[in-house]
Amino acid sequence: MRKKMNKITKHAFNRLKAVEREKHHPILHKLHARHNISYKTLFYMKEYGPHSHVAANIIKESIKILILTSLISSIGGISLNNVQAKLLTILPLIILLPAMNNMIGSMGTIVSSKFTTMLYLKKVSVKWWTSPELHKLFFTVLAVAMISSVYISILATGISVYSGYALSSTIALDVLFFSLVSTFIIVILIFFISVTGGIFIYKRKEDPNNFLIPIATSVADLGSMLIFVFLVGLLF
Amino acid sequence: MLRRDFKEMLGSELLSNTGGIIAGTLLALFSNKIELIPGLLILIPGFLEMKGSISGSLAARLSSGLVIGAVKPEIKWSHLIKGNVIAAVFLALCVSAILGLTVYGALLLIGINNFSIVLISITAGVFVNLIGIPLIIYHTFRIFKEGHDPNNIMGPFVTAEGDMISIVALLIAITVIV
Repeated sequence: MRKKMNKITKHAFNRLKAVEREKHHPILHKLHARHNISYKTLFYMKEYGPHSHVAANIIKESIKILILTSLISSIGGISLNNVQAKLLTILPLIILLPAMNNMIGSMGTIVSSKFTTMLYLKKVSVKWWTSPELHKLFFTVLAVAMISSVYISILATGISVYSGYALSSTIALDVLFFSLVSTFIIVILIFFISVTGGIFIYKRKEDPNNFLIPIATSVADLGSMLIFVFLVGLLF
Repeated sequence: MLRRDFKEMLGSELLSNTGGIIAGTLLALFSNKIELIPGLLILIPGFLEMKGSISGSLAARLSSGLVIGAVKPEIKWSHLIKGNVIAAVFLALCVSAILGLTVYGALLLIGINNFSIVLISITAGVFVNLIGIPLIIYHTFRIFKEGHDPNNIMGPFVTAEGDMISIVALLIAITVIV
């Protein structure tokens, strides 16, 4: 019985492999219903199973979005280049830069994946701004971001002082203010991109998980660089 | 629920931000290099983004495979690991070359001819893989073997580790090329 079952499953996987990705795997549902194999397992075996071209599949699906997101981030780099002189003279700002970049990446991932889950669970309606779940997510993320912002500012100024940089209290306060304002604007930006982008992709019957995280993080990266440059020009 | 979400998010954020601060400190230590090499500041955000995306996806794919049982929890040069490593190396080299060329083009527009930025980008892409991929694979398997779900832990780990390795790789590449 088990042997027969294995034969059927193997045959089913071979059929699954032949299905074009663009056809949204119509055979997945049949296999899932007939053999009680989870959708995640079926999808994983189709993409990365023993006879699949793992590297080719990964490269084909990732390269376009990787190039796009890296180029968007580079545009942010061009704007940073314009304030290079100021940036290099204020040590805490250089230390802050990768940490801010890091925080945006994490926040973008959290908000995008949580919002996508809300969409799938129907916890967000067309009037998304009235959703209590979304309000909770916003305030939780904002609180975490603000605490993180204070944390990285204190670390950056502390390391600067420790390394012998002559840091006045005005610059230390400016760094903290700069970090808090940037974080607040970035959180709003990430929410706006995730919500509008998520609803748009979901309405087109695509999985927002595949597009929303790279797009949200790279656009937020670009936005943060522009805010960074603007505030550096304004405060320092 | 709200409190649990807050605690989990804050914990992972503080961990990955610490990695970002270490990367920033390394960058600050070598800030004279930024002044010496035109275009390096343009390259850094794109390079960090690239490393985070490639490593994050690699860790997520391996984690999914381990959790659903498609990948055995032992590090062997299997079909799946081989495919993932080839893809990660190819993507990093390809995207770092495109990034380098983009920065080179941007510099040309402002009248600076600095082809070494392309070489720095590609060399750093090679170093990022040499250091980063074995670490990601090792930690994903180890976390799984210790009974945790790598999906919950690898995200902040990858961003923290990715930033530090990227900056180190860029500094090594600068030392080699310039």
